[in-house]
Amino acid sequence: MIEFQHVSKSYKKVKALDDVTFTVRPGTVTGFVGPNGAGKSTALRILAGLSRATSGTATVLGRPYAELERPGFEVGTLLDAAAHHPGRSGREVLTLGAMLLGLPRARVDEILELVGLTGKEGRRAVGGYSLGMRQRLGIGHALLGRPRALILDEPVNGLDPQGIQWMRGLLRDLAEQGCAVLLSSHLLHEVEQVADHVVMIGRGRVLAQGAVAELSRGRGLEQTFLELTAAADRSAS
Amino acid sequence: MTDTTTALSSGALSSRRAGGRSFATLVRAEARKLFDTRTGMILTAILVVFGPGSVVARGFVAGPHFFTLAGTAGIVLGILLPVLAILTVTGEWSHRTALTTFVLEPRRGRVLAAKFLPPLAVAVLAGALALLLALPVTAAVAAVRGVPADWDVAPGTVLGWVAVLVICTAQGQALGMLLLNAPAAIVIYLASPMAWSAVRGLGGAGEELAGWLDLNTTTNLLTGGGMTGGGAARLAVSVLVWIAVPVTVGALRVCRKDIN
Repeated sequence: MIEFQHVSKSYKKVKALDDVTFTVRPGTVTGFVGPNGAGKSTALRILAGLSRATSGTATVLGRPYAELERPGFEVGTLLDAAAHHPGRSGREVLTLGAMLLGLPRARVDEILELVGLTGKEGRRAVGGYSLGMRQRLGIGHALLGRPRALILDEPVNGLDPQGIQWMRGLLRDLAEQGCAVLLSSHLLHEVEQVADHVVMIGRGRVLAQGAVAELSRGRGLEQTFLELTAAADRSAS
Repeated sequence: MTDTTTALSSGALSSRRAGGRSFATLVRAEARKLFDTRTGMILTAILVVFGPGSVVARGFVAGPHFFTLAGTAGIVLGILLPVLAILTVTGEWSHRTALTTFVLEPRRGRVLAAKFLPPLAVAVLAGALALLLALPVTAAVAAVRGVPADWDVAPGTVLGWVAVLVICTAQGQALGMLLLNAPAAIVIYLASPMAWSAVRGLGGAGEELAGWLDLNTTTNLLTGGGMTGGGAARLAVSVLVWIAVPVTVGALRVCRKDIN
């Protein structure tokens, strides 16, 4: 269970998030969609305890992230696939994670296989990885501790068609096993394929939320989304 | 291709009980991070090659003087250890790995404390190895040249010398923590001896200032024997200014800031 309750975040002059409230239930995939700069990443970083909300609370499994007893076992996070040391091998990135969580090294091999990185790719430095490979590594890192909630920021970016299909299957499987999956994306078609619920955000405000079928209104999410953002832009200017 | 049951299964309960999140685990992970990147490996290789290389070379030039030879390795260590220490702190920010690090351990102060220790341990270890290495080299040079070996050094001086290595390394870490930027921290660390000699050139006031604040000068008493009250006060002040204050300010900032 992931919950945002009236979360606002202000920087000196800009209001990055304005009264954001929504819930991600266990066993569902929730798409968090909005244009670049809408506040998606800010919201996810607040959820992961990396940023502080100006007001409101964001909780995972009923608690603020920083108060989780064993965050790595409770929540998996992929906030930026590029955020790895380029001189560290993929396998080493996972090994460090496993070490911090007190997991056996065999878990690293399991994860490499799960995300489809070969042994040879695992030994290469991350600096030489394609974005798609980094996404796979990042997803693998998030899944190390078999978490019950997942926070993924733009996990589909850079994946090839096979990779996208793989990710779809993986996220559906995880949700079926009871995981609460929150994924941000600006690729609306992708979200439409994989998500049960959608939260649309623009200029830091939730514009709409609900079941995918309900929001797509038979015309597709993109159409709804474009109308909503246009309306929000008009009212802002 | 995907067997997601391995990703999420009932095994979760048993692994939840297994280890993790102790301070010792954090320290071990941070120690591993010192050496597991390409840069870390290259710096270590340089240490392993040039440290002993410099001891042997100096042996043939300077003769079989045990402490002089160990001290030669100390020059290499005094440059490379602080750089390694700087990089282990700043890497989290330049490569944005802080995003992952602080998600697995949200108590940032603990992470920073765990990060601080391994480079200091490496400094002690490297100093000990340099001393060990200087033993056979001194004996060998004495044998080759047919002159008596000079083993004369006070135990206190040896300890003081290792302490200086630790202080240099801590200074590197402190600069890294304060600036969170590797090039800036490395330049300040490496250029500070030159800057201080310029300050000393300003005359009496400059001399006095350097006498209190230049770590290279204030730590001299650790190796020169003669620990006096005044000297200890100067050492304490310089350690406060170059290590304690930047570490505190840097740590407070990291604990409070939004990580992007």
